[in-house]
Amino acid sequence: MGLLTIIRKNRQKEKEMRILFLGLDNAGKTTILKKLNGEDILSVSPTLGFNIKTFAHGNYTLNIWDVGGQRTLRPYWRNYFEQTDAIVWVVDSGDRMRMKDCSEELHSLLQEDRLAGASLLVFANKQDLQGSMTDSEIRDALDLRSITTHQWKIWPCSAVTGENLVTGLDWVVADVARRLYYSTTAPQQALVPAAA
Amino acid sequence: MSDPTWSFSQSFSAQFQASRTELESRVEASKSTQPTTDALQALSVELAKLTKTLSDATGSIPSYDQRQYELQLKGLQTSLEQLRASLPKTKFAFKRKIAPPTSSAAVPVVPELPSSERVSTAMSANLTLSSYSMRYLTAAAISNPSQATDLAISDLDKCIVNLLPDASPTLKISALHIRNLTDSVLLLPVIEGSVLLHDVRRCIVVVGCHQFRMHTSTNVDVYLSIPSNPIIEHCSEIRFASYPPALSASKDATFSDEFSVQDFSHIKSTPSPNWTKLPPEDRIKAWPTDASLSETEVLAVVNGLVSH
Repeated sequence: MGLLTIIRKNRQKEKEMRILFLGLDNAGKTTILKKLNGEDILSVSPTLGFNIKTFAHGNYTLNIWDVGGQRTLRPYWRNYFEQTDAIVWVVDSGDRMRMKDCSEELHSLLQEDRLAGASLLVFANKQDLQGSMTDSEIRDALDLRSITTHQWKIWPCSAVTGENLVTGLDWVVADVARRLYYSTTAPQQALVPAAA
Repeated sequence: MSDPTWSFSQSFSAQFQASRTELESRVEASKSTQPTTDALQALSVELAKLTKTLSDATGSIPSYDQRQYELQLKGLQTSLEQLRASLPKTKFAFKRKIAPPTSSAAVPVVPELPSSERVSTAMSANLTLSSYSMRYLTAAAISNPSQATDLAISDLDKCIVNLLPDASPTLKISALHIRNLTDSVLLLPVIEGSVLLHDVRRCIVVVGCHQFRMHTSTNVDVYLSIPSNPIIEHCSEIRFASYPPALSASKDATFSDEFSVQDFSHIKSTPSPNWTKLPPEDRIKAWPTDASLSETEVLAVVNGLVSH
């Protein structure tokens, strides 16, 4: 194992991103992840603790932490904040009765120092169900425009059909990459021949 | 006295003083009457013009005069601001121009959109079944039942809800949000999506779903068909049974009650005190599927079933 290997390993490690999937229970966090990972979504059961998924997306390795959204579990979310590059906030677009609850949880989450600077992707999930709130209605219900501390974007999506899941993930990965790997995204071509 | 600067200064002073006194008297007049926003706007425009002529004249008039004039304008500015502050505050709002009365025939008539269409473009709407007491409710109580697939049931007291395919054939639900029910019986079909319940008291719930979560509820009998684990949180006295085959669309289907309930209020290895399996002898055999029940009959049925 020479210097080259170490450098390569280091670079590989650098290309990792840690993404936290949060949201109220019944939002569809686990189902989105399973769909993204090509797994069977019919087997999804409410999350009792957390799930970790690691998969490659473009040039990056994503470490995704999916933490259960039951009220009892929410105080434990903080245990996962360290080193988080992006938050994916999943919303059940049909859950009109809990939009206020959802908004409060999100805004209190964004107060966290350890999440400062993390990109925020909001998935307005369950768009396959007719009668769901649209992404612009959810943007207003969650008062996303008042967020100035984080880069955010909202995507309407469906974990059942897969609509916009990859598009949303593309955005969040690109946003994190621009922030974290700005120096390595551009001069990468120059470095690779030297390593090869 | 042929110095051009001097003569300019003379004429400027005269003009300036004239305009200023005129403006001043208008401001004074507005103070006694209630000025409109438009009138105030006109005054500020005048003031701005005057300020500009003064600054244009800089260098052509004695600096002492200039300072004096500036002070006078400043005084005017202050009185204007006071006037503006005295106006009743109006919130910013988009105003719709009110069309002139129809008597003026020149105005083309814009056809009004049907009100329902206007609502649907502005906001998405889900299905709701809400705010009833002592009623037998079927899909007929839901507006536009063939449209949405997400149904919210809320604020019911002493009701029977029957959304089984026999009673409500056009209804297709994929997700259910249920909140604030008391002393009611819900007969719901097997749906594809999830069911989320909050604040249910002394009720009987029959439902089949992919995921089941119940929060802050007490004294509920749940007849359930589910492939995953049902969740309860902040609940007590919940009893679980299998989905009654008699109510199923496929009459020969069998349902298991071997699901394992997860109680988030009791994360211990000991059995949760908040739920039990409903003993077979307590399970309901005769279901109130007759939609023609009267108010008193509904009340009697509910009282008979929700007695534990």
